[in-house]
Amino acid sequence: MSGRISQPVAGPLPCAADSVSGPVHYAAVIRPAFYRWHEGRFESARLLDVDRASLGSLGERITVIEAGDFVAVVATEPSLAALAADRLRVHWTSPDIRGNTSVESSDRVAGVLSRHYRWPSRLGWGESEAWVVADCTTHAARLWVGTATPEVLRQDLSMLLSLAPDAIELFSDRSGTGLGRLASDDAAADAAFVSQRIGLPIAIRLDPNYQRDVDALGMAQRWVVRGWGEGAAPERLALKTASPGAAPVVALMLTRPECREPAGNSSAERASPYVGAHPEADDAPDGDDTPRLFAEESFLDEWADERQRDPLELRLELMEDTRGKRLIEAVRERAQWRSPVRHRDRARIPVEGLLHGRGFAYCHVPNVQDSLEAGTRAAWIADVAVDPVTGEVALSRVVVGQDAGAAPDEIALGKALEHALLKPSFPLVTQSGDFDQWGRDAASAGDPPAIDAMIAPLGTPPTTSPRLPAARIEGGTPSWRLSAATLAPGTAAIANALFDATGQRFRQPPFTPARVRAALQGEAADTRPDPGLPARRPWRRKGWLGAAASLVAMGSVAAGMMPWQPAMAPIPHPAAGLYSQAAIERGRLVAEAGDCAVCHTAGPDGETNAGGRAFDTPFGTLYSTNITPDESTGIGNWSYAAFERAMRHGVSRDGRHLYPAFPYTAFAKLSDADMQSLYAYLMTQPPTAAPAVENDLRFPFNIRGLMAGWNALYHDPKPFIPDPTRSALWNRGAYLAEGAGHCSACHSPRNAMGAEKNGDDYLGGALVDGWEAPALNALSKAPVAWTETALYDYLRGGRAEHHGVAAGPMAPVVAGLAELPESDVRAIAHYVASLLPITDTAEAARMAEATLAKSAATVDGFESGERLYNGACASCHDADTVAVFSRAETSLALNTNLHSERPDNVIQAILDGVVAPRAGGENAGEMPAFREQFSDSQLSDLMGYLRARFAPGEPAWQNLEARIGALRATAAGP
Amino acid sequence: MADCINLTVNGRSERFALDPTTPLLHVLRNDLALNGPKYGCGLGQCGACSVLVDGRAARSCVISLGAVAGRHVTTLEGLVRDGRPDPVQTAFVECQAAQCGYCLNGMIMTVRGLLNQFQRPDRQQIIAALKHNLCRCGTHIAILQAATLAIELNLADVADGESAT
Repeated sequence: MSGRISQPVAGPLPCAADSVSGPVHYAAVIRPAFYRWHEGRFESARLLDVDRASLGSLGERITVIEAGDFVAVVATEPSLAALAADRLRVHWTSPDIRGNTSVESSDRVAGVLSRHYRWPSRLGWGESEAWVVADCTTHAARLWVGTATPEVLRQDLSMLLSLAPDAIELFSDRSGTGLGRLASDDAAADAAFVSQRIGLPIAIRLDPNYQRDVDALGMAQRWVVRGWGEGAAPERLALKTASPGAAPVVALMLTRPECREPAGNSSAERASPYVGAHPEADDAPDGDDTPRLFAEESFLDEWADERQRDPLELRLELMEDTRGKRLIEAVRERAQWRSPVRHRDRARIPVEGLLHGRGFAYCHVPNVQDSLEAGTRAAWIADVAVDPVTGEVALSRVVVGQDAGAAPDEIALGKALEHALLKPSFPLVTQSGDFDQWGRDAASAGDPPAIDAMIAPLGTPPTTSPRLPAARIEGGTPSWRLSAATLAPGTAAIANALFDATGQRFRQPPFTPARVRAALQGEAADTRPDPGLPARRPWRRKGWLGAAASLVAMGSVAAGMMPWQPAMAPIPHPAAGLYSQAAIERGRLVAEAGDCAVCHTAGPDGETNAGGRAFDTPFGTLYSTNITPDESTGIGNWSYAAFERAMRHGVSRDGRHLYPAFPYTAFAKLSDADMQSLYAYLMTQPPTAAPAVENDLRFPFNIRGLMAGWNALYHDPKPFIPDPTRSALWNRGAYLAEGAGHCSACHSPRNAMGAEKNGDDYLGGALVDGWEAPALNALSKAPVAWTETALYDYLRGGRAEHHGVAAGPMAPVVAGLAELPESDVRAIAHYVASLLPITDTAEAARMAEATLAKSAATVDGFESGERLYNGACASCHDADTVAVFSRAETSLALNTNLHSERPDNVIQAILDGVVAPRAGGENAGEMPAFREQFSDSQLSDLMGYLRARFAPGEPAWQNLEARIGALRATAAGP
Repeated sequence: MADCINLTVNGRSERFALDPTTPLLHVLRNDLALNGPKYGCGLGQCGACSVLVDGRAARSCVISLGAVAGRHVTTLEGLVRDGRPDPVQTAFVECQAAQCGYCLNGMIMTVRGLLNQFQRPDRQQIIAALKHNLCRCGTHIAILQAATLAIELNLADVADGESAT
């Protein structure tokens, strides 16, 4: 049906309805407050108790599962399960931690270069959001999950469910990449366990929530690589590993205490293609060469950088294998490799806002008979482009050469590489589920890399061509799989290219935007803090943004309680081309989420963002300022540091304090990446010369310096900190709503000093600009309880079935939200739903029916109002048998404004009408203005009737005529 | 300036570079010279401005141009097919159901919208559908007769159309 836009964002279930044993239920898991996989051992907080009462009105619709330290909630609707998981309060013990035993000291012996490399237990949470479905009994299990490692998953499930491995059927449309496990395995195990426990098919949403598992499960392998020699090439290489192995699925370790310390891995020796290299294989995991190759190939690149050598030449010099040398030479020619200026301290200047780099890596994997000569060889040259503002890494070109191995020809090899690389979610470089990560559907996913696959022209093909045994996965699989050996050098090639681009060495995958940004801002790239433990920072280096970062730090210190702030030096307008299109686009989304243009544009005819809109406050009239990059009247000569100080601390570039009508109290919560993107966006917009309009404030509010005291009392400039006990969706929603979205600026009441109230008053409803911003918390007066779906429909399309349309100052907010990726609006809806009294869709429909039934009765004593209603309103607002296009779709009986304590919004709507927030929507709410048609007393009669008929349970509004007169005098429409 | 808005009016594609909040009635009368829809109250109360949007009656004075983007709008003029008036128009002519005639566009369009949804509406449905169309001359009895005749003519027309194809 048109106009309905609430589709599940993760798409349809992966299984047909008749292939499962019953109606699918939805589950969400609640992980311990702390857990981690550390040195081959699982440590976690232990479950004390689950406070079921915390579910409130949801309680009767939710099943809570407890087993060991495993907690999950089950519901019939996905949004209810997600909401219950965010509402349920669970108490845990403090964790039992053994402390960090692994101190990685770098050898500083002369003539020895030593480096540590690590490989994570889970490379990422998954490739894209999807449903994972499990249908399990005590004798058999069927799972629909996109797993990269089906055999390991099957083993884990066999233990978890006490089933024989061949009783477990896996349906997957995904092929392995040889890069290791994804957290989709953990989601599958969660679904399987819950399904077997309650005997129903269970769907669990694989989404960035599972990033917590990725972070908690830490490292699977650690490699130490040493090279000896004073010359250009190492005389000897040694690789050593102490590998706890990849963690089993989290559900197994939470439900079975005996599985917290699984048996160690078998050891194996692997030969290296380079002279003198040998793994000291005390604990090398069997069969998987990728982590070792990552370590070895990264190390050679580091060696080449230390000795200022061409890394490709270095390999050729080290190798004796002629076939391998010829492959490398062929790839070098195809990619037109030029010896790079490879010093870490060389200047790296962004081109079109991007840092470009190129990296090389090679591998030679023996075949099944351990014959090195006949093994598979592959060489990669990867080109990357790094956005220093957002930290995003794009693979721009990949040249992959393979000698005659498993691939039948270059076309098939190219196709298989595309399959493994072109998915926007290639787990090495994609999003990590950070709270400031923007959804993907609106932002451009970037250009896919140009893939250049080649089979090296070699004389004699190898005697045996190793093929991986085809994984037993059913469903649509690509016709041909890449061998792990072909993909193996990819990770190191990208890491080496990242070093070339940024001067930062990444010694463990994946290369997510958050890690890349952190590295560029001067934090060490090769450490990832253990969750919940203080991070060690072995060394610091000022990166590309280092200078900017220290300026920011200065700003933070300076903006204390000083009534006079120093001016920041004006700068020439930043050159175009300093920022990437992706950063500018991200900034545009931040600006839309923040509705900058709504306040900074003077009415429909004003120039966008040129300022001049008036705000009537209890302290006098304020005018918004020009935020276009005009150098004399706008912010064109503001440095980033000055911009950030204004956004986070409310201090203008010239040192004057700003008034909190500009919600810097909310904008302070923006992440650095979003703040820089916003700056990039604003600075690249067309400049408009428009001098500021003088404010008209009463004494003493016109003394700006007093704001220093206000800030000390009421402003907390801390950036947003995610709540680890809530879901990723909730944290994303909270970040958007509390930060850029500044919901509380209108929806929270303010105290006498104009500061937002908190606690029970947070989002408790307030008056702003002659409109009432209704309560978004337990104080909500909505006659029908909201559902998460209804909130989403309202925010996204401007209308919710049982609530009506967005009007007044909310209309431009909805128009701005329409620009955001769908997932971000969904996150806001989820966050707001966690604050409101919420219900499910069936109950909401019943409540609506009951409310409508009450309003059908005629009311006595309001005859003059009824006559006005029948003449002016009924043609659109009465529910007729004949569907009329211009009819109001939502009955007035369901309208929150008619049930509110205050008549303001009803008066506003009748006086000045309603303008559809989103043109082209299904009759998304338009109403003519009746300002000229009704006198104050007529309007008072009409509203008395409306209140009595459509909100029969509420007391009559008092002093209506006076309020109508007051609003008629001030309000000039939205 | 506003982006162009595309819609279909009486079967023809039209394109307007206008503010999307412009009332549809103004566009129909002033830009397309379609004077079937009348300007009455301008507040959606009297029904004189009625048109069909995707086959449903709608008051064009309170609908903005933006709200009908991509939709099919039919005015009184568009009811005529191959030079033949619509059965509803024929019924109103036969019953001479007009005094001053200002409301007649709304009456005809509303009955057309009703018959698009119900081929055989009963008298209560006809009254409900026309309840919010105002006639100041007191022609209601004749208008109801015309609406009743329109049902028959329309059924015959539909049957003709089916046998012809």
